[in-house]
Amino acid sequence: MTPSRFKKILLILAVVLAFGLPLVLRSPTYLHILIMLFLFAYMTTTWNLVGGFAGVLPLGHSVFVGIGAYTSTMLWLQWGISPWIGMIVGGLIAAAVGTLIGLPTLKMRGAYFALATMAFVEGIRVMVENIDKLGPFVLNGPRGLNIPPLPEGSLAAFQFASKEPYYYIILIMLLLVVGLTWRISRSKMGYLLMAGGEEPDAAQALGVNVTRYKVMAMALSSFLTALAGTFIAQLTLFIYPKSVLTLDLSFELAFIALIGGRGSIAGPILGALLLRPVSEFSRIYLSATLPGLHLIILGAILILVMLYQPRGLQEPITRFFDRLAARFGNGNGGTEEKA
Amino acid sequence: MREGMFKSILGAALAIGLVASSLIPGAAFAADKVVKVGNLLPLSGPSASVGLQGKQAREMAVEEINAAGGIKSLGGAKMELLFADTKSDPNVGVTETERFINTEKVHVITGAWNSSVTYPTTAVAERYGVPYLVEVSVRDTITERGFKYVFRIAAKDSWWTRDQFAFLKDMEKEFGVKLATVAFVYENGDWGTGFAAQWKKLAEQAGLKVVLDEPYPSTATDLTPVVNKIRRANPDILLLTSNAADAILLTNSLAEYKVRPKAIIGSGGGHADPTFISGTGQNARFVFDIVEWETDVNKPGAKETNEKYKKLFGYNMTGEAVDAYVAMYALADALERAASTDPKKLRDAMAATKLSKGPASIIAYDSIEFDESGQNKNAALSIVQINDLGKGLERVTVWPKAARRAGYTPVFPMPQK
Amino acid sequence: MLYYLQDVIDGVLMGSIYGLLALGLTLIFGVLKVINFAHGSFLMLGMYVAYWTVSLTGLHPYLSLILVVPAMFLFGYGFQKALVQPIFKAESDVREPITVIIVTTGVWYILDNLALLLFGPDYRALTPNPLKGKMLELGEIFISLPKLYGCISALVTAGALTWFLRATRTGRAIRAVSLDREAASLMGISQWRIFAVAMGIGTSIAGISGVALTPFYNVYPTVGVPFDVKCFVIVVLGGLGSIPGAMLGGVIIGLVESLGPVFMTATWTEAIVYGLFLLFLFVKPSGLFGVKYDW
Repeated sequence: MTPSRFKKILLILAVVLAFGLPLVLRSPTYLHILIMLFLFAYMTTTWNLVGGFAGVLPLGHSVFVGIGAYTSTMLWLQWGISPWIGMIVGGLIAAAVGTLIGLPTLKMRGAYFALATMAFVEGIRVMVENIDKLGPFVLNGPRGLNIPPLPEGSLAAFQFASKEPYYYIILIMLLLVVGLTWRISRSKMGYLLMAGGEEPDAAQALGVNVTRYKVMAMALSSFLTALAGTFIAQLTLFIYPKSVLTLDLSFELAFIALIGGRGSIAGPILGALLLRPVSEFSRIYLSATLPGLHLIILGAILILVMLYQPRGLQEPITRFFDRLAARFGNGNGGTEEKA
Repeated sequence: MREGMFKSILGAALAIGLVASSLIPGAAFAADKVVKVGNLLPLSGPSASVGLQGKQAREMAVEEINAAGGIKSLGGAKMELLFADTKSDPNVGVTETERFINTEKVHVITGAWNSSVTYPTTAVAERYGVPYLVEVSVRDTITERGFKYVFRIAAKDSWWTRDQFAFLKDMEKEFGVKLATVAFVYENGDWGTGFAAQWKKLAEQAGLKVVLDEPYPSTATDLTPVVNKIRRANPDILLLTSNAADAILLTNSLAEYKVRPKAIIGSGGGHADPTFISGTGQNARFVFDIVEWETDVNKPGAKETNEKYKKLFGYNMTGEAVDAYVAMYALADALERAASTDPKKLRDAMAATKLSKGPASIIAYDSIEFDESGQNKNAALSIVQINDLGKGLERVTVWPKAARRAGYTPVFPMPQK
Repeated sequence: MLYYLQDVIDGVLMGSIYGLLALGLTLIFGVLKVINFAHGSFLMLGMYVAYWTVSLTGLHPYLSLILVVPAMFLFGYGFQKALVQPIFKAESDVREPITVIIVTTGVWYILDNLALLLFGPDYRALTPNPLKGKMLELGEIFISLPKLYGCISALVTAGALTWFLRATRTGRAIRAVSLDREAASLMGISQWRIFAVAMGIGTSIAGISGVALTPFYNVYPTVGVPFDVKCFVIVVLGGLGSIPGAMLGGVIIGLVESLGPVFMTATWTEAIVYGLFLLFLFVKPSGLFGVKYDW
C-alpha cells in the first residue's frame, strides 16, 4: 500500500463517517453543534478564496452573509419565491457587490483593503438598521425578519422539522466548496493568485494582471459566502442586522482561517474543527461563572498560534499525517508519491 | 495538492470522532431529587450588567427556597440553577436552549432579558414542550403566538407605553399644566423602535404634537448633537428609551445644556440601571422613570428582601431583579402544586398560578395570574421620580396615585432653574 | 445661525478628541505599517488607570497624566517587545504582516474581557470630578469645559509630537524608519528600538485621550470599541501616518456628527461617516495628507 492509497482510504473513511454520523448521533444539540461547525468551515473556506489565496485580509465577509440571508428571506416573505432560488439570487447580488468593493480596493495592499471591507459591512449594517421598507420589501430595520416556521417542514421552503436535513445540506455544501477550492488551487487562476499573493510586484512585472484574478476570486468568494447566509436564515428562521451583518462574524471567519492556516485547503476546516468546539464549550462552562473568560481564552489562542505557528495549525498536523501515512503506507517511511 | 483536500477531510473525520466521543453524556443523574432550571441571560457583551442582576436575584431566591426545604411535594427536591450566556445573540440563545433541553435535560427554562433572544428561544421550548417562564422581556408578540408552554411575568411593552401616557394625562389634570408637544428619543434597536412606534399612535390619540422623533445609534460616542436637537425642538415632554451608557450621556448633556422640558420620562432599562444615578448625580434629579417595582413599594417583606439583596450585591433591587426573584418563587409554587416535573403537568400547574403569598408577594400588585396567552394579567407598572429628599438621590414612587409615597408631592413641571 | 455655531463648536471640540486618539494610531501605523486593533482597548486601559488614580488619590483628573503617560508608555513598549516584535522577526520578508493585525485583535479581546472580569460591567463616573458638567455660557452658546480641556490637550499633544519628531534625535530616527527601514538601519538606527518607542508613544497618546475623556465620559470594559472603528475612519480620511491628517480627520468626523443631525436623524449620520470613508478610499486612498505609498 502506497502512502497516497493509504490517504485515499482514510479520506473515503472520513467522508463515510461524516455521512453516517447522524445515524449514531441522535441528539439535536450535538447535531446543531456539528451543523454550526460545518457552516463555519464552509464560510471560512469561501473566505479563504480571497483571504488565503489572494493574500489580502478581508474583514467584512459578513456583508455577503447578510446579503444572502436578506435576499432569500425577502423574496420568500414578499413573493413566496423558494429560498433555493433566493439563495442563487442572493449569491449573484453578493458577487456583484464583491466585485464593486474589490475593483478599487484590491489594487491597494493590506491595511486599506482590511479597513475598506470593515467599513463596508458597518456602513451596510447602519443602512439596513435605518430602513423599514425598501420598495416593496419589508426590512424592519433593527428588528429584523422572522420566517414563519412550517411545523411539518418542506423541501421547497428550505425548512425541516429535524436537524438531519440541515446537516446533510451543509455537509454537501462544504464538500463541494472544498472540492472547488482544490480545483481552483490547481488551476492557472490558483497559481497566479498565489503568486500574486506572495510576490505581487514580481507577478506584476511578468505582465500578469494579478488584480483581475483577485477580483475574480473576490466575486466567487462573495457568491459562495452568500449561500451560507441563506442557510443561516433557514436554520435560525430569524435574521436581523446585528446577527448577520456584524464585524464579530467577519472577524471570527478571519480568526478561524488564520488559526487553521490560511491559503491552504485544510486550514479553514481544521480551524473550524478546533476553534468552534473550544469557543462553544468554554462559553458553556465558563461564562456563567467568569463572564468574558471564554473570550480571553480565544484571544490567548490567537496570540499563541500567531507567535508559534504563524502558518496556522494545519502545518504541524499535516506533517504528522505525512509521517503517519509514510509509516503505514510502505513501511520504509521514505519516498512519497506526489499526486 | 491532492493531499491538501485529503488531509482536510481526514482532519474533519478525526475531529468529529473527537467531538462525538467527548459529547456522549455521562451516566444519567438520579434526577428525582433536583429540579433543573435552565436560565438564559446576557452575561457578557453590552447587556452584561442587567444579566448579572438577573443571575444574582435568581441565586438569592433559589438559595432561600432550598434552605426552606426545597419542593416538599417532590420529597424536598432542590432547585438547581444552570446559566447560559446568550451574549444578547438570538442564535447563541437558540443553541443554548437546545442544549438545555436535549443535553442538560432541564425541567424548565427562564430568560432571556433581550426580547430578540426570548422571541426565538420560546419558540424552541414550545416545540419541545418544555415550560418557559419569561421574567422580563417586554416585546408584545412573545405571548401572542398561541403558545402553550410560555408564560410571562413582566408587563408587555404596549402596557409600558400606555401607562406612560396615562401618567402624563393624570399629571396634566393634577397640576393644571397644559402639555402640547412631545419628543421621542430612543436607541435604534428592537426595544427603542418598538416603543417609539407605539408612542406615535398614543400621541396622536392624546392630541399631542410630535416635535421630534429621533432614533440614535446605541453605540454613539457623543450624544451632544441629539441634545442640541432636543433643545431646538423645545418639547413639553421628552420620552426616552435608553440603555445604561446612553441614558447617562443623555441625562448629563441635557442638564449641561439646560434643556428642561416639563417632563422627562425614561422607559426603564438604562434609566433603571443601578449605575444610572451614580453616573449622573444631581443631573438625574426630577427625571421620571417607569418601573415594575420600587424599593419604597408598600408591600410586606419588600424592604427586608431589598435589604438582604443590597447587602449581598451592593445595590438596590431593580424591577428586573424583582421579576427574576419572583419568577423563582412562581416556579417553586407551580412545582409544589404539580408534584411532578413532568412538563405537561408542570405547564398545567403554571397556567393555574394564583400567587399572592410568601416572598413573591413583594411584587407591586396583588397576585401573579396568567391569562390564556400566558401573560401575567395583573402585571402593573408605576412611575417614579428621581429626587433628593435630603438623603441623597432616590427613586420615589409617584404614580398611580394610590401607590404614591406618603407625603410626597411630585415636582412637576420640572423647575426651569 | 447661532444654532450652527453651537453645532460647529461641539463638533470641533469632540472631533479634536477623536483626532487625539487617532494620533496614536496613525503614529503606530506610520512607523510599523500595521493597524493596531487594540488601540481602543488601550484607550479603555488609560481610562481605567485615570479613573483609579483619581478615585484613590483624589487628584485633579488632569494630574493623573503623571501616572497615565509613563504607565501606558511602558505598556506599549512591552507589548511591542513581547508580542509584535517576534512576529516581525519571523516574517521579516513581509512588509506588513497580517499576523500582527490578528495578534492586536487577540490583545483587544483579552484586555476588554479582563476588564470585565476584574472591574465588572459597571459604568463608572469619575469621582471626585471638579470638571463635571462645567459649561462656559456665552449668551446662547454653551461650551463644555471638560471638552475644551480635551481639545487643548489634543492640540498640545499634536504640537509636542510634531516637535519631538522634528527636533529630537529619537524623533528623527522614528521618521527615518517610517520612510525607509533598510536605509535607516544602514545608518545605524536600531529599528527594533524605534518600533518599541513608537508603539510606546502611540499607546501613551491613547492614555492621554483616556484622561481627556474621563471627566465627561463613563468608564466601562467595552468603552474602546465604538472609538476604535471611528479612529480607523479618521486615519484613512487624514492619510495613514499623517499627524495633521489625524487631527483634521477627527475634526471632520466631529463636524459630520454634530451638523449631520440638523438635517437627518443621528442614525443616518453614522451611515454618512462610513460613506465618507469609502468615498475617500475609492477616490483618494492616500487621504487628505497622506504620502503616496505603494498600496
